[in-house]
Amino acid sequence: MMEEAKKMDLADIRKLLKELLIESLSLEDIAPADIADDEILFGEGLGLDSLDAVEIVVLLQRNFGLEVKDMKEGKEIFYSIDTLSKYVYENTRDHP
Amino acid sequence: MFISGIGIIFTRGRGIDCFENALTQGWIDPSWTDSFPAYRVTKETLSDTNLSKKIRRADKFSKMAALSAFDAYKDSGMTLNNNDEKLGIILSTAFGPHTTTFSFIDDILDYGDANVSPTKFSNSVHNAAASYISTMLDSRGPTITLADFSYPFQNALLLADSWLKEKRCNHVLCGCVDELSTVMEYACKIKLKAAEDGKIRPFMFSDFPVSVLGEGSVFFMLSEKRCKNNYAEVAEISFSWELKKNPDIIIIDADGMAGDETGYKNYSNKGLPITGYSPVFGSMMIGSAFNFAAACLIFKNQLVYRCPVSDNSSSVNSYFLTKEANVNEINCIRICGSEKISIINIKK
Repeated sequence: MMEEAKKMDLADIRKLLKELLIESLSLEDIAPADIADDEILFGEGLGLDSLDAVEIVVLLQRNFGLEVKDMKEGKEIFYSIDTLSKYVYENTRDHP
Repeated sequence: MFISGIGIIFTRGRGIDCFENALTQGWIDPSWTDSFPAYRVTKETLSDTNLSKKIRRADKFSKMAALSAFDAYKDSGMTLNNNDEKLGIILSTAFGPHTTTFSFIDDILDYGDANVSPTKFSNSVHNAAASYISTMLDSRGPTITLADFSYPFQNALLLADSWLKEKRCNHVLCGCVDELSTVMEYACKIKLKAAEDGKIRPFMFSDFPVSVLGEGSVFFMLSEKRCKNNYAEVAEISFSWELKKNPDIIIIDADGMAGDETGYKNYSNKGLPITGYSPVFGSMMIGSAFNFAAACLIFKNQLVYRCPVSDNSSSVNSYFLTKEANVNEINCIRICGSEKISIINIKK
């Protein structure tokens, strides 16, 4: 997954993240298309909570090798699919 | 104590009506995987749009428990106050949520202990399912999980009885749950004899009987006093070979899961009608709870359901046609190995 992610564009990462969220967080009644790119993931938006945040940390580590240690930073990263996918996109590129 | 509600999930669906239909219908072919038969609970059976938010994170084990407990509560017709402290919850199991437990261990090996799912960890704990039930019902009463291989249901009933007698609770949601898994199937392939034609034969009375693994959950609302919706009364739970009074029917838990079943033959010589419904739901260490549910339906409907498999090589006095009968007392018998036995005496 990590190597594949390096070749993905932003749209592909968004799609993949939606699928991974639904699977990892058991969002059984929701389809990827139901999650808007800019929808707030926590609280009033998709309704995720703190335990889901830890699941997302695990999800990022397992699938993309990305470690989010600072939860202040995590709050900004986990705001929406848009912010999450940008974080994954920017941190999975091979930088010269 | 009195039985005032039943909730059940098994291979053919969810709900006491579904179980009643299955008893009427009799045996059906199990599902087969690599020539191994099993009665599995499908994902569709566990889909519930009304409760899905409350049990979103639950695994299959906890979902089966939570939904059947909720159905037992609904079936009893009770409306409990919020934060009710007089409702107890007792969940009993032989193997617990072992699918999640093994998956959690696999994840530690695959990803390291820093990258395992916290949800999977919480679901791997035996008491998770009982906690989902108490959260779902907003109950503040005592909640406990028992784990026992031989008599999980009987021990749960005994504890419920003591909670009711000492007035710790007015009602107890008491039930059993067990699940199938690839690990369980592997272990059973080695240790048990799977029925090649998919039929459990309760009247084989063999020292190496055939089995077809099952999974599911059944809960009962038990009450101190007789309620409006009453199925039957549990008169006694004993661990001796003596029959209790003169039962109209004996229901045996023979399903090939607990080893030697020759002990059941002792009861076939007494002239009393014997039946056993394990071919409907499968072989489980918690099978007693399902046969107990069948007994409750016999009392309620005054209808004795036919034995699901017509094989009667031991020439027992049984019912091979469903028929009306005046049933006042039933003994449910479970034998584990050659020495251990339990009899639940149930009255109308």
